[in-house]
Parts: sequence; structure tokens; C-alpha cells
Amino acid sequence: MSGSATKTPGWLVWAAFVLPVILLVISLNVGPYHIPLREVWTTISHGTPSGPAGAPSPYADILFRIRLPRLLLALFAGAALAVSGASLQALFKNPLVFEFSLGISYGAAFGAALSLVFLGKGFPPQLAAFAFAIMAVLLVLVIAGKSASQIVPILLSGVIVSALFQALLSLVEFFANPYALQSLIFWLMGSLAAAVWGDLALTLPIIALGVVILILLRWRLNVLSLGDEEARALGVNVKWEKILVIGVATLTTAAATSVTGVINWIGLIVPHLVRMMVGPDNRKVIPLSAAFGASLLIVADDIARSAASFEIPIGILTSVVGIPFFIVLLRRSGKTWL
Amino acid sequence: MNIRVENLVFSYDDFRLEIGSLVFAESRVTSIVGPNGAGKSTFLKCAASVLPAPRRSLFVDGKDLTVLRGRDRAKLVGYVPQEPSFTFNYAVLDFVLTGRAAFIAAFSSPSARDVALAEDALHYVGLNGRSRRPFLELSSGERRLVLIARALAQEPDILLLDEPTSFLDPRHEVETMALCRRLAEEKRKTVIVTLHNLEMAVRYSDAMVFMKGGRVVASGPPAEILSESLLRDVYDLDMKIVECAGQTFFVK
Repeated sequence: MSGSATKTPGWLVWAAFVLPVILLVISLNVGPYHIPLREVWTTISHGTPSGPAGAPSPYADILFRIRLPRLLLALFAGAALAVSGASLQALFKNPLVFEFSLGISYGAAFGAALSLVFLGKGFPPQLAAFAFAIMAVLLVLVIAGKSASQIVPILLSGVIVSALFQALLSLVEFFANPYALQSLIFWLMGSLAAAVWGDLALTLPIIALGVVILILLRWRLNVLSLGDEEARALGVNVKWEKILVIGVATLTTAAATSVTGVINWIGLIVPHLVRMMVGPDNRKVIPLSAAFGASLLIVADDIARSAASFEIPIGILTSVVGIPFFIVLLRRSGKTWL
Repeated sequence: MNIRVENLVFSYDDFRLEIGSLVFAESRVTSIVGPNGAGKSTFLKCAASVLPAPRRSLFVDGKDLTVLRGRDRAKLVGYVPQEPSFTFNYAVLDFVLTGRAAFIAAFSSPSARDVALAEDALHYVGLNGRSRRPFLELSSGERRLVLIARALAQEPDILLLDEPTSFLDPRHEVETMALCRRLAEEKRKTVIVTLHNLEMAVRYSDAMVFMKGGRVVASGPPAEILSESLLRDVYDLDMKIVECAGQTFFVK
């Protein structure tokens, strides 16, 4: 962390990673079935999904089979969405770019839905999610053409591509049988409820890999955010590194979306809040986005599970907060960004 | 190190840059002058590989610049753009550090040594104490100096500066040109600047290159090539060359 020019010390950036872990442990206590904190602790410290003396414990079952996978998914998906958003904002030197405005969210959602409905549960939906998410980004870049470095044209292209994939999604819904349709619609609204270990086995490692790669690229993103011409003059292989960042950011988002459905706005809100706190240096923004994105999604999921007698789809929750946030940012565009 | 141009041809839309043969010498300041659209900036961008120059058109120390890997080329040639377009308002030091990109692997971050070099570069251009300020809080004169400091942190042998004095007040204009001279004399850089101010060009450079319509009209030490007929050819404007108090002035 040496040489960063703002006041936040480097160790604080890495210390922030304790926050999502603490929140995860606390959140194990949140849910319709009350488990006393003491019991949470004894069950975890036992470490096995069975109670003392080999007898099956109801606590262990709830904690390990229901709450832990769900919270881990929240942690990883939150980090994935926030880090991808922050990286894409730097790469496109456009603070309003994130998974949704590049069409990645709905491209991935369409791919995953297509896979779930036509290839069945046995086939990993991450594959099709990634393929269509990449297709969506490329389409946005082609439509935006030479104005891809400007804020508004790329947002417009993103809206068009998102609309296209939402229409295709409706088509998939139309052909899905009523039983599949119900779970498809609930999944699309964004939900962590579906988290089971089987789905996570592929998704979590992909997200972990992607987030680590983007964190390693954190300083390089400062250079890339100066624009293609300057980065090239500074000796960067712009084309290859752009492909790398877009590819990894899309892959992590697609891996998350294929399990959680569409959870928007995390990739916009978190990096902006982080920049307000520590300034624009991506050496801090990228790791802190991971830590705070994970934390935010855990808290949002706690609210989704406990605020009402029914479960609020988390994608709706994040949109309700994210959209006013976006409007405020859009009105500020043209002025300088932190 | 010298930079040698050989049959550099670059065209876009209906503009064509065509430079037969030209050498820029080490430890010298060379200014490129000429009317708007003469191809000055295009030439600099080709030399900085911001625009793709054809193979075997640019040589540094006998090496073909156009086939070098980006990071190897950036260690030889540094480029100072007119004004960067800015989305993120980085602190001055963080901005200067991006000049180290050629020395830092993509998956790595600047070391203490990189930071020290960036601080040295800021010190050299006279911006000590500014390293923690956000770039956009600086005056435009200071911003130019930050851009030059970044190119210095890059440690190239050749420095290309695109109109480093435009929009500057007379004092900052003189200071920037004096800095270019120090870079050539103290640091033995090959300094190439594009300029509009002919008086500055004559006063601060060892050699001048006059360009028009994508071609070189004349090149050499100012005392040898300057003439009223050359100025008329290049600028389509009658100018008188007046010597006064040991300096050359151009009366339009």
C-alpha cells in the first residue's frame, strides 16, 4: 500500500475484510427460527453438522444447511458485484457503468434461465450465463462504437441491450412449464434463498478467483482509467488488459447471477461510497469494494429475511435503494468525480 | 539517445503525414512549429505509439521503435499530452506514479522505490509539497508540470511534449520552456516539443522543424533556417523578423 496519497492507512483497507466475517457470524442468528447466539457458537465450534454425541441437532441443520450457504453466497456475490462494478468504472473511465448498465446482469440472467429451463438442473447454468453476459458486453461496445468512452452513449447502449435480453427472458418464461416458471420468476427478482451447497460448489471458487484477480489488478486500473491513449503511451498493452478486466469482471458477475438472479445496483452504490470515503485510488477502492460489497449484501439479506412476515426479494430491495442513488449521481455527471 | 525518423507515412480521413528523414539529437531541445493541422501532434502521437506508425519508420539508437513491446518502448520514449481528460480526480502523487507502469507488472503495485522516483520527479519540476493534493485542484500551469513529472518518473531517454505551453500565462510559459532546457542539459534527454509561440521556440530550442500540410518544410538550428520567406510559406502570413535586446521577435 505504500505511496498512496490519501490519508487512509493501508492496513485499514485490509482490516476492513474482518467486517463481512463478523457480520456473517452475527447473521447466522437472524431468521424465522430463533437460535440463541450461545448455541450458534457451540454449534459452529463443534464444526460438524451433527449435534453432541452424534445425535442430529436441529440447530446444526438450520445453521449448516440453510443459513451458512446462504450467507456465504451473500458474502461472495456482494464482493463479486461490487468489485466488478468498481473495476468496470475505472476501465471505462465512467463512474455510472456497472453490471446492469453494460447489459451483463440480464445477459447472464437470460443465459442461466435458458440453461435451467432447457438443459435442466444437472447442467451448470454458470456456463451459459457467462457466454451470454460476454455477448451482452460486446453488443454494448459495438453499439456504442467510437463513443464508448463517453458516459451517456454507453449507458444508452446498455439500456438497449438489457431490454433485448429482458425480452428474450420473457420468451424463455413463455416456454417454461408452470412449475419451473414460478421458481424462475422468484429467482429473477434476485434471491439468495435458493442457495444450496451443490450450486455453490462451482460459483464460489469462480467468484473467489475473479475477485482475487481484480484485486491484484487494482493499481493497473489506475493506469487504465487514464484512457487508451495515455495508457498506451505509458507502456500498457491496452487491448489485452482491457479484455482481461472485462472478461474477469463479467465472469464473476455471471457466476454470481446464475445462482442469485438479478441483484442490481450493488456494483454502483458500493464503489461510490468507497470513493467518498477514501478517494479514487483503486489500490484502496477495489479491495474495500470487495469488503463492503460483501457486508452490504449480508445486511440486505438480513433485512430481506426479517423485515416482513414473508421474504422480500433482495433484488427489489437493492433497486429501491439503488435507483435514487443513481439519479443523484447522474445529475452530478459532468462535474468531477471523486 | 537520438531518435531517427525514416519514411514515416501515416494517414487518416483525408490527412496525410509524410516525413522523409529527420533526426532529433540527444541533449537538445527541438521544437516543431507550423500552422494548425500541420501534423505536429500527429507526429508526436506516432512517435509515442499512441497512433500506430508503420514498421521501420522510427528508430532509437538503431532499434526499430515500432516493433518493441509497449513497456520496452515506454522506457525509451515518454509522452506528455496537452491536457488529460479526467474522470477520477487522483492525488498528484498517484497520478505521477502511473508513469511507472512500464516497470510494474500488471498484477503488481508500485514499490517504495517507485514512490521515491515519483516524488523526485515532482521535486525536479518544482512541485514539492503538492503530492497529496487532488490533481484538479491545481492551476493549469501546475497541471502541466505534473504531466511532465509523470513523464520523468517514466525515465525515458526521449521526451515528447505536445504544446506544453498552450493556455499558460507568460511566466508559466517561460518556466515550462526553461524546464525543457534543463531536461536536455542536466538530464541529457532528447526533448521534442510542439509549439505555437515562435519567439519561445527560437529562444529555447537548439533546432526547429517547420511543418505544413503533413510535411517538413525546413529543419535545422533556428539561426540557419529562419527567414521571412520561410515564415510566409509556412503560415501564409507576412511576418517581419526583428532582433531586439538579444532576442528574436516576429511582427505580424
